[in-house]
Amino acid sequence: MKVGPMTDPAGVLMRRLLRLLRWRVWIQEKLQPTEWQVTLLWAAVAGFFGALASILFTALTEDIYDWFGSRSLGIVDSMARLPWWARLAVPTLGGALAGTVLTFGQRLTRRQSSTDYMEAIVIGTGRLPVRASLVKTGAALFSIGSGGSIGREGPMVQLAAVLASLVGRWRKFTPPQLRLLVACGAAAGIASAYHAPIGGSFFVAEIVLGTIAMESLGPLVVSAVVATLTIRVLTAANVLYKVPAFELKSPWEMGPYILLGFVAGGLAPMFLISLKRAEQFFVSLKLPIIARLALGGLAVGAIAINVPQVCGNGYSVVVDVLNGGLVWQVMMGIFACKWLATMASFGSGAPGGVFTPSLFMGAGAGLLFGTAVQHVWPVAAQDPRAFALVGMGAFLSAASHAPVMAVIMIFEMTLSYDIILPLLLCSVIAYYTSKSLEGDSLYSEALKRKAATVPDPALSEQRVADMMRANPPVVAPGARFAEIARMFLNVRVNNLYVVDEAGKFLGVVSLHDIKPYLGEPDLAELVIARDILREDFPRAAPDQPLTEALAGFLGLTAERLPVVERDGTLRGSLAKSDLLLALIEKQKKPVAARA
Amino acid sequence: MLSPTEYIADPDVVLLDPPARSGEDVVRALHARLVWGTDAVTDPPRFLQELLDRMHGGPVCLADELALPHARSAAVKRLVLGVARARDGVAFDAQHTAVKLVFLIGTPRESVTEYLRVAAALTRLLRASAARKALMAAKDEAEFRALLSAGAATVR
Repeated sequence: MKVGPMTDPAGVLMRRLLRLLRWRVWIQEKLQPTEWQVTLLWAAVAGFFGALASILFTALTEDIYDWFGSRSLGIVDSMARLPWWARLAVPTLGGALAGTVLTFGQRLTRRQSSTDYMEAIVIGTGRLPVRASLVKTGAALFSIGSGGSIGREGPMVQLAAVLASLVGRWRKFTPPQLRLLVACGAAAGIASAYHAPIGGSFFVAEIVLGTIAMESLGPLVVSAVVATLTIRVLTAANVLYKVPAFELKSPWEMGPYILLGFVAGGLAPMFLISLKRAEQFFVSLKLPIIARLALGGLAVGAIAINVPQVCGNGYSVVVDVLNGGLVWQVMMGIFACKWLATMASFGSGAPGGVFTPSLFMGAGAGLLFGTAVQHVWPVAAQDPRAFALVGMGAFLSAASHAPVMAVIMIFEMTLSYDIILPLLLCSVIAYYTSKSLEGDSLYSEALKRKAATVPDPALSEQRVADMMRANPPVVAPGARFAEIARMFLNVRVNNLYVVDEAGKFLGVVSLHDIKPYLGEPDLAELVIARDILREDFPRAAPDQPLTEALAGFLGLTAERLPVVERDGTLRGSLAKSDLLLALIEKQKKPVAARA
Repeated sequence: MLSPTEYIADPDVVLLDPPARSGEDVVRALHARLVWGTDAVTDPPRFLQELLDRMHGGPVCLADELALPHARSAAVKRLVLGVARARDGVAFDAQHTAVKLVFLIGTPRESVTEYLRVAAALTRLLRASAARKALMAAKDEAEFRALLSAGAATVR
């Protein structure tokens, strides 16, 4: 009789399988990679792709600068060197080209759903249409590259979110997981655009998700950090706005800073309303989209003949403001013109963002306010540039209704900590002022509009089938140990579902049960799934309310429940992480979608 | 619940060289003795059917000369262990035609891992050829039981 080390090929294979499975169990026990940790890994992937998308979009925009100027000069100086007619022609032509891309792109994307990443995260399935997003991004390249008064961070975030959506779809993520991954892509896009990982995470958490629960904030942070790191490694970029060290020079300055909070809180809603009115005006013209965008570009060009600083997102002007390169008289003109130019670009429908233009408006308002105070009471505003910096945060806070994000973002973009006290106070005051004047923020309008069109069932009304993952890994009751071991190695689950030929669910084989025997290759020859089946494993029914299914996880260490029909047929599995994400999403609704 | 080695050290039934011509004969003989000798089997026909179903539905032999027929069954109240020796060997299937040591295990349905624990302890015990040879050479049930008991003490 021979009982001992197996030397035949099947025996050798079995030993190798068991050794691998022992490693898997060891790694799992040591590192404990839960579904949340795996989500973090994919969040990092989304962050990396988000950074690459940002780099690509920036490079393509700068390629367009090269057509009429130079990428080394930037948009404002490139425009400034053009003759008057070219300043008029470039944004007009850019608008027309953007409109052409959108017009022809619509034919390709007629059946595709909304490209809005916020909608995809908050109320959609997380599936962002690729072709429609690429068309929008292509159009944005022309409107932004030709000097449109609009930010390029919008398309960068959009592109990053699309890539994250593609990754999630490739990995067959469930809707809650996919939405979270798209949110990670968006955070990566913001972090890449502003070199601000914390700000990027909080932007999405505070504005889009409406929650800073760790279940969602954790992946956002990972994604944003990876994105920022990638940007730093690949482009040697560092702080976005290099500014002198600002500090609170006198306690008396706090008074004007408080006033600045009210000013910014009042100006931001006016800015947002003006953008909305401009949009309504352009729509009322009933022009074809090409003509509408060309008209918007023409308006920007007309302003740029005398004030080329209105072109682009306003970044270089803000840098000048913060470093004392602009006097208040000039700034006053630029401020008014930039406001009008942004109305023209945004109102005409030029694809792009208004985040950076909002920073511009805040810097301008802050500088002008600080200068005015300095003239009246010098000791209370010793450096108006510091007011410009604080004004950026306050305006952003008031426009976005996200004061935490605004403060963090300003701090990260400038690394100027000494000004944090007035910045915090001013941003909070601006937020409350703005909110009392105008209920909608820069982003809530779109979300509210979209949410109104989509029913929002309460969790108790949702059924297990709505959140079920189809095709869970299964084995037959007669499956040999080798097959079971191979399945556990191939799919990252702790319980394999056992079904008969008719697809009826019989129970589960638990990795935990077989773990102590992985060092017994002889035993593996004997065991089949039926021998180690757990028939009493909890299960959910497809028509069961999610709240009931949640109770099934109580006292259970398993990450998933089998979803079984009343007749015993296995339909899929329900993941605890999906259920918890859905709960978190329900908590956010009053903040984001119903705001 | 006893430890696996305690079960092995003191099996419910030991049958030495029963008049059997096949593995199924040995299983039936052990089943009959377990039903007769213990009060652990609550539904004898059902237990037998489940033993035979499992025997025909998957592997029960460990190497050439050792078989561990088993069933997780609602027809037993606790783990039962019956041991049989067939000096001339009996056929369990086409690959295992001369099985000489049979360890029949029955476990309650809810005891998922008990069978694994006992089977693992048995394979560790029988991995040593000296232990197998000694069991084959045992003159009577008392010596056989003593050998099992001594062997069980050496198993982790």
